[in-house]
Amino acid sequence: MNTPPLTPPLMELKNIYQTFKLDSGRRLRVLKDINLTLNQSEVLVLLGPSGSGKSTCLRILAGLLEPSEGNVFLKGEKLETTNPDVALVFQSFALLPWLNVYDNVALGVKSLDLDEEETQNRVKHAIDLVGLEGFEEAYPKELSGGMKQRVGFARALVMQRPILFLDEPFSALDVLTAETLRKEVLTFWLSKKTSIQSIVLITHNITEAVSMGSRILVMGANPGEIKYTIKNDLPYPRDEKTSAFKSLVENIHDVLTEAIIPDTPEWVPPMFAANTIESLPNISLTEVVGFLEHLAEEGGRADIFTLAHKLMKDSLNILLMAKASELLDFVDTPKNQVVLTELGRSFIRADINRRKQMIHERMMQLKITQMFYQKLLDNDELTISKEEAIQTIHEWLPNENPEDVLDVLVQWGRFGELFGYNDDSETVYIDRGEQ
Amino acid sequence: MYSPVPQQYRKAKLQPADVLVIGLFVFLIYGSVMTAERWNGELQPAFTIDLSYSSLFLYSVYSLFRASLAYVLSLGFTLVFGYLAAKYKTAERLILPLLDIGQSIPVLGFLPGLVLGLIAIFPHSNLGLELACILMIFTGQVWNMTFSFYSSVKSVPKHFHELSDNIHLRFLQRFYFVELPYASSGLAWNSLMSMAGGWFFLTVCEAFTLGNNEFRLPGLGSFMAVAIEEGNTQAMIGGVVCMILLIVGMDFFVWRPIIAWTRRFQLDEQQDDPQEIPYFQKLIQESKIIRKIEGFFLLLIRGSSGAKVSNAKENRTAREDHPIIRQLRKPKSWVSSFLKSQFAAFLSSKIAWIVFILGGSWLSAKLYVFLQPLDGQDWVLILQSAFLTFSRVLFTLVVSTLWAVPFGVWVGLSQKRTQFFQPLIQIAASFPAPMLYPIVLGVLAFFHIGIGFGASILMLLGVQWYVLFNVLAGTTMISRELRDTFSLIGISRIDTWKKLFLPSIFPALITGWVTAAGGAWNASIVAEFIQYRGDTLKATGLGALISDATAHANYSLLAGSLLAMIVVVVGFNRLVWHRFYQLVERRFKFER
Repeated sequence: MNTPPLTPPLMELKNIYQTFKLDSGRRLRVLKDINLTLNQSEVLVLLGPSGSGKSTCLRILAGLLEPSEGNVFLKGEKLETTNPDVALVFQSFALLPWLNVYDNVALGVKSLDLDEEETQNRVKHAIDLVGLEGFEEAYPKELSGGMKQRVGFARALVMQRPILFLDEPFSALDVLTAETLRKEVLTFWLSKKTSIQSIVLITHNITEAVSMGSRILVMGANPGEIKYTIKNDLPYPRDEKTSAFKSLVENIHDVLTEAIIPDTPEWVPPMFAANTIESLPNISLTEVVGFLEHLAEEGGRADIFTLAHKLMKDSLNILLMAKASELLDFVDTPKNQVVLTELGRSFIRADINRRKQMIHERMMQLKITQMFYQKLLDNDELTISKEEAIQTIHEWLPNENPEDVLDVLVQWGRFGELFGYNDDSETVYIDRGEQ
Repeated sequence: MYSPVPQQYRKAKLQPADVLVIGLFVFLIYGSVMTAERWNGELQPAFTIDLSYSSLFLYSVYSLFRASLAYVLSLGFTLVFGYLAAKYKTAERLILPLLDIGQSIPVLGFLPGLVLGLIAIFPHSNLGLELACILMIFTGQVWNMTFSFYSSVKSVPKHFHELSDNIHLRFLQRFYFVELPYASSGLAWNSLMSMAGGWFFLTVCEAFTLGNNEFRLPGLGSFMAVAIEEGNTQAMIGGVVCMILLIVGMDFFVWRPIIAWTRRFQLDEQQDDPQEIPYFQKLIQESKIIRKIEGFFLLLIRGSSGAKVSNAKENRTAREDHPIIRQLRKPKSWVSSFLKSQFAAFLSSKIAWIVFILGGSWLSAKLYVFLQPLDGQDWVLILQSAFLTFSRVLFTLVVSTLWAVPFGVWVGLSQKRTQFFQPLIQIAASFPAPMLYPIVLGVLAFFHIGIGFGASILMLLGVQWYVLFNVLAGTTMISRELRDTFSLIGISRIDTWKKLFLPSIFPALITGWVTAAGGAWNASIVAEFIQYRGDTLKATGLGALISDATAHANYSLLAGSLLAMIVVVVGFNRLVWHRFYQLVERRFKFER
């Protein structure tokens, strides 16, 4: 089991809640009861789908955002200002176009009032570390994406702070460059030749998480919360192809599947069970159809992640497709498997009209569709405005982004000829067939 | 199945929006009738302004009409010339430089010539005068709209053209369905700015003196002028309030809904500004009359393009076989492909040179005749005046920047503050400062500030908003991440200003300066020469020279001063602004 760390944690988040105000006053809860610690000498990974509040967590840790509730601690003390021990690297590089590489990196020590010589030493050292010697005079627009990110790293390293935050730092880079940079970051950290003691990495890439992280926090979305913590004691450098690596990835897959399409749903008191409103995952019907057809090609049963790998799709994305298909009763999802149901098979074999009918029927089985339909019927003209629809959905599902849910409802509804939506007037209406 | 038009549109009863639209039509008809009456009325060069509130309403209608007619004219010009310049290289080489010059020269200086000319053409009715006013306003509105439209049409992504070719879209269809929507957002925004600029010219053109003659058109501008002359405070307040109501009204009822509507045509689905849909627009969307009009337009377009846009073989052969159509087809395509060819472009640039040289020589000859009477002393005066007005323009730029940058950045850094201040600044930028000139001068006189320096203040009043507006826009574009980085590094406030804020707003600041300087030159014509209660306050400056020459019908001096102003403005343009823009392109562009 976990042995308590021998040194006190570098940072802690205790009972953090974060709500954002959307325009027109609605509040969206982005983080719910987040508790985490960042220990010495570790790479902490925040892994989760978009909307899980990972970036928000990072900004709170960095002292750039004040949490709605809860406290942030740095080395045992409450953090009240921006965090003086953290350096940040962004997905979009955040370089100043009017400064060359040298000056961009030098920005990192601007607040330290160093003399000319000291600055030069530090900057040159940082630039050398990231392999950009010779490029000091270049301007950002002359650099490739990978080089720009190296400048970002140099700027972070020159600050010589103990904690490094990386916000999806490799997402905007091509696969090969990302590989290389990942290795280099781990090298700095392991060599202990830089000031960096611990790293917090945000990513949605499971392989990256396992490659780099010594402790992985799996986050769920809507609202953002930490679902599971997974320790990764594999020795560095890690090889994707080893069985230990693969089984850890499997482990995370299991965890993610549980988080997104739980076998045993969160326990709900019986009297409320009938009234639980399902949220609709943000998946289009074309994706569902494609998913089902591929599944059929596999013989109707497959491991979700193997399927993801075959289709070269993000695992999280596949999980959502499985969830959507399950909502429509086209598949079952025992553990990591996804199995085509009879209904699913007939859906695939059906022609377009029959498919529309089936979607229509399946949707009407969902609580959310029923309630929404009822809402439309309650209205004289059998329509409601987009505003009202969003408001209503927000009441039913306070932790979801109501606009996203409405988008899916309308998309599926249009296909199943249940609802229609007119963007000019922004109203949703009941589709009553050919008039 | 798919139901194309939702239930509510099938109802027979009138929506509240229809009432508003009907109201708009009633207003249009009323305005047209009143205007037509005026145009056909006996020539009355100096209208006697009645300072009562009831007349104020009528005058406002007249002013609104003039500005709107000028706008329609500008729009027509934009759609035609902007389109031609975007599509045909020949046209581009001719039109663009002309636009550039048009936007640089101080058009107010040409007012006297225009007025006299038009009155000569229409000696017996007011039409001449009205047309002069409208044309002046037009010259204040048209340039930026044309540039915007031209650059939008030019930048329609290639694949849209390929698509249009592939589905055999006719010219009008392509224009209506592809090019116009693409350009609509820029066009809407520039229309807003043009209308705002138009008010300035309107108020100046409604009341002016030429030689011994006083010209006055019934309108809001002249109302204010007379009110100030007579010191009628009540009327002055009424005039200012009316002007603000007009500006706010147009902003709220016309421009905001249009701009919001054009957002749907933007290609990049940026979820940038979360502005609520203007209440008024929601009403308009429900108006059936507007739908009918749109339907009519569509019919027009479909009708004019012959049969359907189908690829069906029968349809195509049927059309092609028709003798008349066959005849019409060939020559047109020959002409149009010629126009588009490189050869034509080459030829046209040579032709343009020849025209330029010939025209230039002819103009110079004419000009020489005008300028002959001027002696050395006159020229010295012109040079001195040029220098002084130039310093005044610089003064406005410096002072505007000094306060607009801190304030603009402060507002821009917070979304809430931006949402609050931006509409206010827009209105302030639209308000025609000349309306208030005499009042401000009175205040300045109290502090013993004469018109020599006072003119700078007057010019400043009108143009500082352009700088502020642009600084604000530039600040809102600074990325969250850059600000976070600076915050985290712990860079001091001062250094953040030096290293982040100021460089970031630099491109926007340049735009602000260019616009402000242009406005200042135009304003100088009005600010340096003020006639008030029989007194004439004159500063030493190019603007004063121009106005003075106009007032005394001294055409030689007028020509000389105008020439000087044009040379300075265009020269400064080429030498300074051009360089700044190049610098911005090289060093300050944010790219993704």
